[in-house]
Amino acid sequence: MADLTYENKVILEMREHFRDKIIETRVQRERRVVMRTSKDNIESVLLFLKEKMGFLHLSHIGCVDWMEENRFEIVYILWHPQEKINVLVKVDIDRLNPVAPNIDYIWPQANTYEREMREMFGIEFEGLVGPRELILEDWDDLPPMRRDFDTLHYVMENYSFRSGREDAQNVREVIANRTGEEIPEFAKKYSR
Amino acid sequence: MNYVLNDRESAKIVEFIKNFARKNSLWVLAYGTGCGAIEIPPTMTSRYDAERFSVRGAATPRQADVLLITGYLSVKTLKRVIRSYEQMQDPKYVIGFGSCTINGGMYWDSYNTIKQLDLYIPVDVYINGCMPRPEAVLAGFAKLQELIGRGQANGWRHYKENLEWYRQNQRKLIKNWKMPDYNW
Repeated sequence: MADLTYENKVILEMREHFRDKIIETRVQRERRVVMRTSKDNIESVLLFLKEKMGFLHLSHIGCVDWMEENRFEIVYILWHPQEKINVLVKVDIDRLNPVAPNIDYIWPQANTYEREMREMFGIEFEGLVGPRELILEDWDDLPPMRRDFDTLHYVMENYSFRSGREDAQNVREVIANRTGEEIPEFAKKYSR
Repeated sequence: MNYVLNDRESAKIVEFIKNFARKNSLWVLAYGTGCGAIEIPPTMTSRYDAERFSVRGAATPRQADVLLITGYLSVKTLKRVIRSYEQMQDPKYVIGFGSCTINGGMYWDSYNTIKQLDLYIPVDVYINGCMPRPEAVLAGFAKLQELIGRGQANGWRHYKENLEWYRQNQRKLIKNWKMPDYNW
């Protein structure tokens, strides 16, 4: 049984300090704590984690597009260098008006992640400084990582394929048909 | 040359010698896109030693004869590739690596990679595989040398003659066209 004392201590301390501003906390597994907060409190939560709890390092900021629930979920992943613990802080923002607070004064490297999210998801960060283009060039369509951006449709419109290309085939079956081989019953569940 | 050797047979001999020289000194531009570039170091260094087959690296486009497109090519990189290709001196050759350059490969439904390389720059030899092993790369170079020796690797001439068609395809993808015009 893993020792989860520090993980629980983090949760307790956060609960104590922020009370109902932390919406959801759980220990996902050993050395991983997940918590959810609201958009208004994210800066204070991150600052508290950094200055008081010792989560000095921002590993990553990710974004999840929950299109059906009409929200983006921004996930801040922090790392505690001494205790070797990750904290995932999640924030929901409205999908129709995606504005999130800018945190690059807490960790300068957040600037790159935020620029990437601005480009790939169309999320605006308040007061974010930096060129609008990070990876893409001259992009004038929907931000491509959004789930309502139809990649296949875009590909079919802009590119063309040489004839003879057939995708999504059952490779095992094609090879078996070529040689007249019969696939045994137990092997069928492994072929797509 | 023409004013000295104006009869046909001599021109043929000169062409033969030219092709012999070209095929035996292929300078490859040190440039790689996508994952195939990782196959170039073993091809060039001691294990497979492509210099045995008179293939070696060149630092800049103006010194190079061969441009390798080693794998998937994003639209952003296509711009750089076109510029590099147009700066190269004639005669110049292009080798397309892997299934990505042939027909999209595993990136077939990606919004940002091209699917057929020969719509944008002329390709002399395709090497299939994902990725081609160094043996296949060497076989591709051997094929290119064979074509040069026969005088059939004329992609660069084709590019000049059909520049309009290539430009049209290129402009379709590169929306903000700010490219210099080279006249060869």
